[in-house]
Amino acid sequence: MDNITRFAAVNTKIKTMEGEFLKDEDYASLLGLESVTEVAGYLKERTAYSEVLAKVDTENIHRGMLENLIKQKMVRSIDRIIHYFTGEYKSFVKTLYAKYEIEELKVIARAVYNGKDAAAFRNNAFVGKYSRIDTNKVYEAKYIRDIIYALQGSEFYKFLIPLIDGNFSENPFRFEMVMDMSYYSILQKKWSKLEKQDIKVLEQAQGIIADLLNIQWIYRGIKFYRLSPEELLNYTISIGYRLDFNLLKALCYAKSLEEFYRIVKSTRYGFMLKDDGTTDIYMERRMERHIYFELKSMMRKNALSIISAFAFIIFLEFEVKDIISIVEAIRYKVPKDQAYKYIVRKL
Amino acid sequence: MAIERMKIVSIIGKLTDIDKVSRLIVINGSTHILNAFSELNSNNLNLSASQKHMQTLQELAHIKPYISKRDFSKDEGIIRLFMDLFNLKPEIREDYLCVGDDYENIMTELRKVHDSVRHISEGMAERTANVEKLQHYLNNVRYLRNIDLRLEEIKSLNFMNFRLLMLSNENFKKLKLNIENVPSIIFQAAALDGNTVIASITPKSLEEEAERIFISLNYKELELPQEFSGTLEDVINQINVKISNEKRQIEELKESVTELSRTYSDAVSRAFTLLELEKKAEKLKQETALGSSMFFVFGFVPESEVEGVRIELKQYFGDSIIFIADNVDDKRLGNAPPTKMKNISLFRPFESLISMYGMPSYGEKDPTPFFALSYMLMFGAMFGDLGQGLIVLLAGLFIGYRTANKSFGGILTRLGASSMIFGALYGSVFGSEELIGALLIRPMANINTMLVSAIVLGIILITISYIYSLLNHYSSKNVEEGLFGREGLTGFLFFLTLIFGIFGEVTGKLTVGIGLPLGIMVVLLLVMVFKQPLTGLLTGHRLYEDSPGDYYVEAGFGVIETVLSVASNIISFIRVGAFALNHVGLYIAFATMAEMLNSKAVGIMVLIIGNIFIIGLEGLIVFIQSLRLEYYELFSKYYSGYGVEYKPVGLFGEGDSGNEMI
Repeated sequence: MDNITRFAAVNTKIKTMEGEFLKDEDYASLLGLESVTEVAGYLKERTAYSEVLAKVDTENIHRGMLENLIKQKMVRSIDRIIHYFTGEYKSFVKTLYAKYEIEELKVIARAVYNGKDAAAFRNNAFVGKYSRIDTNKVYEAKYIRDIIYALQGSEFYKFLIPLIDGNFSENPFRFEMVMDMSYYSILQKKWSKLEKQDIKVLEQAQGIIADLLNIQWIYRGIKFYRLSPEELLNYTISIGYRLDFNLLKALCYAKSLEEFYRIVKSTRYGFMLKDDGTTDIYMERRMERHIYFELKSMMRKNALSIISAFAFIIFLEFEVKDIISIVEAIRYKVPKDQAYKYIVRKL
Repeated sequence: MAIERMKIVSIIGKLTDIDKVSRLIVINGSTHILNAFSELNSNNLNLSASQKHMQTLQELAHIKPYISKRDFSKDEGIIRLFMDLFNLKPEIREDYLCVGDDYENIMTELRKVHDSVRHISEGMAERTANVEKLQHYLNNVRYLRNIDLRLEEIKSLNFMNFRLLMLSNENFKKLKLNIENVPSIIFQAAALDGNTVIASITPKSLEEEAERIFISLNYKELELPQEFSGTLEDVINQINVKISNEKRQIEELKESVTELSRTYSDAVSRAFTLLELEKKAEKLKQETALGSSMFFVFGFVPESEVEGVRIELKQYFGDSIIFIADNVDDKRLGNAPPTKMKNISLFRPFESLISMYGMPSYGEKDPTPFFALSYMLMFGAMFGDLGQGLIVLLAGLFIGYRTANKSFGGILTRLGASSMIFGALYGSVFGSEELIGALLIRPMANINTMLVSAIVLGIILITISYIYSLLNHYSSKNVEEGLFGREGLTGFLFFLTLIFGIFGEVTGKLTVGIGLPLGIMVVLLLVMVFKQPLTGLLTGHRLYEDSPGDYYVEAGFGVIETVLSVASNIISFIRVGAFALNHVGLYIAFATMAEMLNSKAVGIMVLIIGNIFIIGLEGLIVFIQSLRLEYYELFSKYYSGYGVEYKPVGLFGEGDSGNEMI
């Protein structure tokens, strides 16, 4: 199949769906609202989120519910693009669901570990979307082990086997790390079956994201966690685009934060670290904006490729994150002129 | 050759009989069940208020739904365990079916032996697991051979820990690239698909540090057996002895199973059949209404089956059951009767193409005969070839015989036969027109005749459609559409006038001039525009259902569409002639190619490939084009397809009645 047949229709669909993204004015209005109910009302009346909010009584909505509904909209949009693909491409795009499912499963695992009831997550949007498991088992879990057993039959399971083998104790950190690492393995396996040109595009796009995540991980590891350099290194993602293994190794074995700063500054990702003490607060936002602009420019250069679908899903994610940030800002009474600094969209 | 007449059946019986009655209905398998509550809400029970029925009528005042939901999962588990163990196929056997309460009896019997059977099955599972574990040991021990380490020495290490681990290749690579910082000696023992087996030797004092590193590589420990001793070969021998030990025990257990199976396998098969019956009966009961001592079941039964149901019920329950079969009258409210098409075997396979579009409504004429005949006619005319038709026919027979898709096979068989008839008329065998003479016409030599006959065929078919439409409107007493509508009498007259007008103009036989037919057509169009107010005048109802403004906008567009569609519908049929020509044309192309080749053998190859190509591709196109003519040009005239399929409760097929009633 040539690229025109493969991408012409889906990219047109994506173009129209991009038109549904919130406008800058919407962001401004949302930031000016006073309560969660008002945000829900605004989204229902004025935006494409009416699709998932239409039947919901926005007067009595609470934060968790709104989050799940907004994510539901993301699910619908992704499902719509999946329809346009066939074969290996379909299976690749479906894999992009795994990232969000893993995020949710990690949260549930943490909650279960802390003795909370997994049933509270019953309305999660992504659980089961990729793994195709019986989600009830997840929501009935009492231990992390139960979640792992629930994932039996999914592609995640084989990565999780070492966690239930032998006499390991319940450990949310290990669960989280294994799940994260499994995503990149699965993703790589899936994209290796695509056309050469698309693999190249993905290696760049996902590689840049991996670079950023690696720097963030090592930075946090050195500053906050008590992990040995060996462990830090083993938990890095090995599909980086600009940072090779030796550079990552140098970062992990950096003797001090200063040395770490010095090495990062020598790469293209120096912008992530600032000496003015804002690094911890804004690192994530800086990464996301960087991803946003990198993807935008890649989309321009590779009009007929998988990048449109790939980037579209990430943009959806950013918008969802932004709405959640706005709601949180409102909830915790962060003033408007502060709140906009925490969102991905540049206003 | 029509839609089967249905009767609405009410079955009222004693509450104590509800299990048996529902089993009987399921076994009988001809009742399309309705939800009793919605039925009682929308229609009155047709019961004379005699002394005999007094009690029943009183019960109607306080009915409640059937709630007790029986859980069969436990029984199902037991039966499945037995079936797995005895190697029985899950099949429903009619000779096991019965109305009485045998199910419980059999289950009590099975439950009694269940414990010992479970014991055996668990024993087998445990031993199989043991064998598996020992096999793993065997594998793991063999890895040691690869790295030339002696087992007895490894075990006697005092200051070092030895472990056998499995890592993914990716993680193994990470380990290798950072080996200078790892406090262990690492040997690569084996590489399996995607994974690497390593052996590590770590000083006991550094074990904790090493463990953290391995954890971050997500290792899987490969266990080494502890309870065996000696050299590597000794251990392997010991394990093998143990494996054959376990295997012998499994065999022994299997023998005891064979004994049990002799006694119980019949009971288990019977239990399986009865469980299926019980489940279906339970589903049926969900749709019933219960009084304090009676229950009510409602459903549709085809007229021909009603007596059967009545006799069976009377046989089992005598006078304790009230069975009423009413005619379905027009004033019925609530659920429409389901449709069961009944056609002679020549037409029956085509029912599947009809239901693909939609089931006929109960009151509607069954379009199958007309559809089947016209479909065969058009397919044959477009794809007329004695040889290729034979292939299609054989393919149809094969599909019908070998696969479950009986109706598709049937359709192909009939289309193939039709194609063969037309092949004889055209004198065409595998594309060649030289082998036999034409009985009727050579398409390529008479292009105009072909195209004109196609149009004539179209006109005939459309006329029949109009007649169907008129009959349907008549039976549903729809004055507005029937008399004045586009597919009604007015539309039909418009169509006829147009045909005669054009025919007269072309042949010059129209002596009164073109003005008269044009005038008639304008009048007819005006009638169509005013169809709603005209109906209102005629029947004395309101003139407009909605606002007149909206109505006329819609009617105005309706007129434009009528004019366009009448013309395009007729012209559409030209494709029947065109494809007949196309069929010959394609063959000519291949024949020319074959002639251009020097070698005769290669030429024949080309012809064979050409024929395969024509059967595959053209056959498909013609199949679709005929379907398109049927669905679009003809069905739009007379067929609504809003019916509900007749789905009786029964043990075979889906029998999922009730669900769609909600």
